[in-house]
Amino acid sequence: MLKAILKEAWISITAYKLRTFLTMLGIMIGVAAVVMMVSAGQAVQTYITKSFESIGSNLIVIGPAEIVSGGVRGGRGLPSVTVADITALKELKDVEATSFIMPAAVQAVYGSSNYGVSVRGTNPEFIVINNWEIEDGIMFTEKDVKAAKPYIVIGQTVVDELFGLQNPLGKTMRLKGKPFTVIGTLKEKGDGLMGDDQDNVILMPWTTVRQRLEGSERPQYTNIAFVKAVSEDKMERVSKRVEYMLRTRHRLKEGVKNDFTIRLMTEMVEKVRSVGFILSALLAVIASISLIVGSIGIMNMMLVSVTERTREIGTRKALGAPNNWIMLQFLAESILISFIGSFIGMIFGVIFSQIGGYILNYEVPISIWSVIVSVTVAVVVGIISGLMPALKAMRLNPIDALRYQ
Amino acid sequence: MTKTQPVIEVQHVCKTYFMEGGNSQSVLKDINFSVNSGEFVAIMGPSGSGKSTLMNILGCLDKPTSGTYILNGQDVSTKDDIALAKIRGQTIGFVFQNFNLMMKRTIADNVSLPLVYQNINERTRYKRAIEMLNRVNLKGYQSRLPSQISGGMQQRVAIARALINNPAIIFADEPTGNLDSKTSDEIMELFTTLNKQGITIVLVTHEDDVADYATRMIKISDGHKVYDGLRKEYSKEKDKPC
Ligand SMILES: Nc1ncnc2c1ncn2[C@@H]1O[C@H](COP(=O)(O)OP(=O)(O)OP(=O)(O)O)[C@@H](O)[C@H]1O
Ligand SMILES: [Mg+2]
Repeated sequence: MLKAILKEAWISITAYKLRTFLTMLGIMIGVAAVVMMVSAGQAVQTYITKSFESIGSNLIVIGPAEIVSGGVRGGRGLPSVTVADITALKELKDVEATSFIMPAAVQAVYGSSNYGVSVRGTNPEFIVINNWEIEDGIMFTEKDVKAAKPYIVIGQTVVDELFGLQNPLGKTMRLKGKPFTVIGTLKEKGDGLMGDDQDNVILMPWTTVRQRLEGSERPQYTNIAFVKAVSEDKMERVSKRVEYMLRTRHRLKEGVKNDFTIRLMTEMVEKVRSVGFILSALLAVIASISLIVGSIGIMNMMLVSVTERTREIGTRKALGAPNNWIMLQFLAESILISFIGSFIGMIFGVIFSQIGGYILNYEVPISIWSVIVSVTVAVVVGIISGLMPALKAMRLNPIDALRYQ
Repeated sequence: MTKTQPVIEVQHVCKTYFMEGGNSQSVLKDINFSVNSGEFVAIMGPSGSGKSTLMNILGCLDKPTSGTYILNGQDVSTKDDIALAKIRGQTIGFVFQNFNLMMKRTIADNVSLPLVYQNINERTRYKRAIEMLNRVNLKGYQSRLPSQISGGMQQRVAIARALINNPAIIFADEPTGNLDSKTSDEIMELFTTLNKQGITIVLVTHEDDVADYATRMIKISDGHKVYDGLRKEYSKEKDKPC
């Protein structure tokens, strides 16, 4: 019986090809939009997760205190953590390494080329902590830091912009008119989370930044510092110890707020991930609106169809069609339309999101979820939008239906 | 079962239409008659006299307001919609004035439609449709669409459709109403042939020529039965100069 119902439904919807196609188009667009939006959301989430993974999750990040005025967060305060603080933290239990950034933005000059770069004064552990790798040459050493040697390690953007095809190793370039020797290059890392170029960077001993770029009157404050715990499960304890030590060193009395902030990378990952999730959900909700429009389209078409086929319905009933048969046939028609529409929409959604990912150079996962969701949506939409017209058809009185002109 | 076994027994049937706004119209008033198996009955009467209303009740498409209708020995006035649909599909054949064919479906699909509701498989349905088309002299037309054949042929398709369930009775409400007189004769001859094969036929008509094919005639006027007897007798009566 089910087969016969589906067959009748199929013949009926294929009898009006254009109308059926246009109705299907609504559902197709809706489902394609949902699949694409969900994929986009997932792509962003995957991307975020990957970016954090590359840094390593057992990292504690220390920054300036947040300025809170009247309960509202008002950005960052002045740096308060010194290089000495960070060096001291290294001695804490379960701390593997510590590092920090003392930034300076300058023009780099080599020969006749120049380029604006972000200079980071730091210690040798910096690349270990951030999981950065040396492509060629070496990283500067603790000795170089002590001696404030003019050694620099440069990112790939700097290599490309200033050296082109030349080998930069051993070359001398100028920053603020002073000469620096390239002793190493960094492996390419690509864009950062905010779309910033992570390869447009020059690393040098922090002492060198103070002496050569900023002048030694610059205080030893760091903008951002990192403490790497030996493992992820030691993070909580390490962060407690870090807080205690910094408070002691800064001579903060009990009840006084921290003049620094401590963030665990694990928490940050979670936070960003949940933002990503909300973003995907929001996108999906917006896309669902087009699905609702598509579903209204089906309902509309089915209502027209029932009215148009009133006499046919009357005839079918006179010839022995039970009421539930009539209802199921019309329901099957709307489910078929929405099912096929969703299926095609899903395929297009996947294809378009892959193409989009390819163009934007993002990795877009094909999620089994979008398949499950779209098929479920198809059946639900088919039933919801087909039920009212189907009931209308079922309730038609055969006599009235046969008299209908 | 003898030939005189009544297939239709109508006892004190009344039908009143209740309309919105509280108005009501009494269309059939205490109708009584019975039809034996194998009869060929023409129901006549002026327009609006209630012929179609009566046919709808006889065809189990509608129920009487009061009175009893017994079809094939079963009281159908008490049955529910599901049972009525089953009776319509299995023991009754319908022929309509405007054919009521599905214009987008082939002739074979149209003819076999009633079998769809009897859960009969597609191959058997097709085979039966071909047989029925032969019976109404439409051999070879199974793949055409209704729009590709004449009105008379369309009505024969409708008759083939009415025959496909091997019904005991065929009800036809003005089956020749949309046809010219020559085609009407062809259709009526087909009905006569079917009647000779044992099928009971009850039809409504306005036309005397059409009614002449029937053996018995029931005349209704203003909801009352005003004549019930042999068609020949009625013609004679009418021809008598007053
Ligand atoms: N569904 C209905 N609701 C209300 N009144 C109806 C309905 N069907 C028929 N009537 C009324 O009942 C009366 C009889 O109608 P019916 O269709 O039975 O007449 P008829 O004898 O078949 O006429 P015709 O020869 O014109 O077909 C008419 O006055 C009609 O208006
Ligand atoms: Mg009528």
